Amino acid sequence: MGAADADVTIEVQGLSYTYPGSEVPALQGVDLLLEPGKTCALLGRNGSGKSTLARCLNGLLLPGAGRVSACGLDTAEAANALDVYRRVAMVFQNPDTQLVGSTVEEEVAFGPENLGLPQAEIRARVDEALDMVGITELSSRQPLRLSQGQKQLVAIAGAVAMKPHFLVSDESTSMLDHAARLRILELFEKLRAGGMGIVHVTHFLEEATLADSVVVLERGRVAAQGTPRQTLGDPEKVRSMGLDPLAVTVVAFELEKLGHAVSGDVLTVKELLSWLYA
Amino acid sequence: MALRLRLEDVSFSYPLGGREEAPAISGVSMSIEPGDVLCLAGANGSGKSTLAQVCTGLLSPASGALYYGDRRIQGRSSLLQFRRSAGLLFQNPEDQLFADTVEKDIAFGPRNHGLRGEELARRVRDAAALVGLSLDDLASRSPFSLSGGEQRRAALAGVLALEPEVLVLDEPFIGLDYEGRTGLAEALMRYHDERGASIVIVTHDLSYAWSLATRFGLISEGRLENVMTSDELLAGDADLASLGMQLPQWGALARELMQAGIAVDDPADPSSLAGAMAKRKEADGAGD
Repeated sequence: MGAADADVTIEVQGLSYTYPGSEVPALQGVDLLLEPGKTCALLGRNGSGKSTLARCLNGLLLPGAGRVSACGLDTAEAANALDVYRRVAMVFQNPDTQLVGSTVEEEVAFGPENLGLPQAEIRARVDEALDMVGITELSSRQPLRLSQGQKQLVAIAGAVAMKPHFLVSDESTSMLDHAARLRILELFEKLRAGGMGIVHVTHFLEEATLADSVVVLERGRVAAQGTPRQTLGDPEKVRSMGLDPLAVTVVAFELEKLGHAVSGDVLTVKELLSWLYA
Repeated sequence: MALRLRLEDVSFSYPLGGREEAPAISGVSMSIEPGDVLCLAGANGSGKSTLAQVCTGLLSPASGALYYGDRRIQGRSSLLQFRRSAGLLFQNPEDQLFADTVEKDIAFGPRNHGLRGEELARRVRDAAALVGLSLDDLASRSPFSLSGGEQRRAALAGVLALEPEVLVLDEPFIGLDYEGRTGLAEALMRYHDERGASIVIVTHDLSYAWSLATRFGLISEGRLENVMTSDELLAGDADLASLGMQLPQWGALARELMQAGIAVDDPADPSSLAGAMAKRKEADGAGD
């Protein structure tokens, strides 16, 4: 990758982080390259360091050792803080902790207002973000009266209005039901197709199969990294990292024991059925 | 041993200010038999958390009736009495841990119920053993030094120490990893088997409750749409997508196979699914 590309990637090099008062590092020597227009799923058991890594990406936490360069900006430089925050937006598990506006419109305008943009530009960004997320009809509603799924969409619209290069989702789907989750994942795909880089921390392996790449953390270190097929295809390996393997991969593994080699690593029901009927 | 808990045409609304009300559940009738493991499943906002609170006496129905055994729960004294038979594990219960040792946290509920001395100590010991927390940890460790899964189990132990006959859990598996979920499920079933308790698991995710529940009550817009078995759910008797839910991945596979006329002995068992597929593949090969 050429030097010019650094302006549009997030580069994590040798990143370590230990919470104040803790003796055990939450992250140790993490190397990672996140690219625009790609989705990266971040997996790992509770306490593996997923959320800590997510928070390091936009400067909410600063490296104890190593370096995070977000779109060419070293997050450890205090002078870069605002620019990092503009480029790398975050949404969290519980939207209630993030919503402050009394209407959806105000909520979405909060970020751009903080950037000190002219009123007309704020208006345009809010309208565009609401449209992108598909919640224009909610614009005058009170955020706290909305469903959990709608609240999460509002939080994402707020992030989108910042026109970030990256969106980091820290388990934004984990409290949502299936229908709401699908809507969020479709939205991530739309943003990704528009060139945004998506980092999605999740417990759901089925969500991770949709990503371009998967990173599994274990005790603060990268335990596996690659395509969904490379990282999630082998149920034994997945289990050893404290994750619940995809049912389809367990069935494929059982089929192999019965003398049926299922060609390639299957991750979905559809793929396993196409093998069956081939 | 639990008694039958019965809801008869129960409704509950939250006040919105002024004269407005937001109906949360309406016209719910159902029975939870002694020793039942019932999963109440529905999308976010379907009213299932409200129903959980009605089932444990924390909210009183605005209309309709609640019976525990032969007794109708009506009025303050019967409500207070019923609350001693029912326990609720709230969503994200570890947010409510507060004491400086695990032991004190678990003892908080039974102590409030007036227990002291050996009986209190026994309750704490038993509850800790049920959830698989080591006794050595209890006195010395802060609940905040536990892992996420351990914290959830410590919070469950606090409810189990009250020895509820009807145990209701609101999204107990949310946010837990594989180990955390497995540990919690084992603790629940130990309590169920040892005490003959009735268990109600409230969730939007069928996969985690699947192996535990004997029946599934499907909730939509405050109404109990249907109560069915896992077999009926697999057979596609409910339109889960319209209820904002989906089958777990193996369930979706099992359904596809069964719809194609491929018999599966135990759909929840991967080797059974694999066996059925292998048989079909071999039959296809033989026919070529």
